[in-house]
Amino acid sequence: MRHVLWMAIFAGLTAVVFGAVARGTNRQRLLYGLKVFGEFMFIAFALGWVLYFLPYR
Amino acid sequence: MVAKQIQQTSNVETPRYAWLVGLAAWAVPGLGHMLLRRWARALVLGGSVWAMFLTGLWLGGHLFTLSGTDQGPAAFLQLLPMSANVGAGFLYIFCWLTKTGFAEHAQLITFEYGNTFLLVAGLLNYLAMLDAFDLAAGRKQ
Repeated sequence: MRHVLWMAIFAGLTAVVFGAVARGTNRQRLLYGLKVFGEFMFIAFALGWVLYFLPYR
Repeated sequence: MVAKQIQQTSNVETPRYAWLVGLAAWAVPGLGHMLLRRWARALVLGGSVWAMFLTGLWLGGHLFTLSGTDQGPAAFLQLLPMSANVGAGFLYIFCWLTKTGFAEHAQLITFEYGNTFLLVAGLLNYLAMLDAFDLAAGRKQ
């Protein structure tokens, strides 16, 4: 659970910066930041499940 | 018409102040935007970079330097991650002067998280620096 927490903190801080430096209105930048955060989390979980089914020995 | 616009844009001189703001933004995360009186942006960008860097150190991550354990040409493999770390500006220099954060703590479970936080803090500060520079040069609102 702690790994997910650090991953979410990482995704959150990165998304904040990406949203802040983006062009557009405040609303557009907020939505962009949320989208980046969602993408980070989605890809991490998707990759996690893909790797779960891969044999590692 | 587009070519004419591009030519006109490229002919606009970058003010010296913009270079100073860019340098300040690199040196201390958030300072560049403070100089431009963009307080909210300074707080958000600077706060994120500071938080990420300090969290990285707290998680046991380590900073890269050329004088690491690798010898010969292999030492240059450290150059890329080091250039990412250097993006944090004086935070990196302060750590280098006080020899903080350069020791490897691979036994810690959060070691790799810490490394990633430290690397990305520097890279995000490069983004913030470019943003401050563009704002100061009038290329962005």
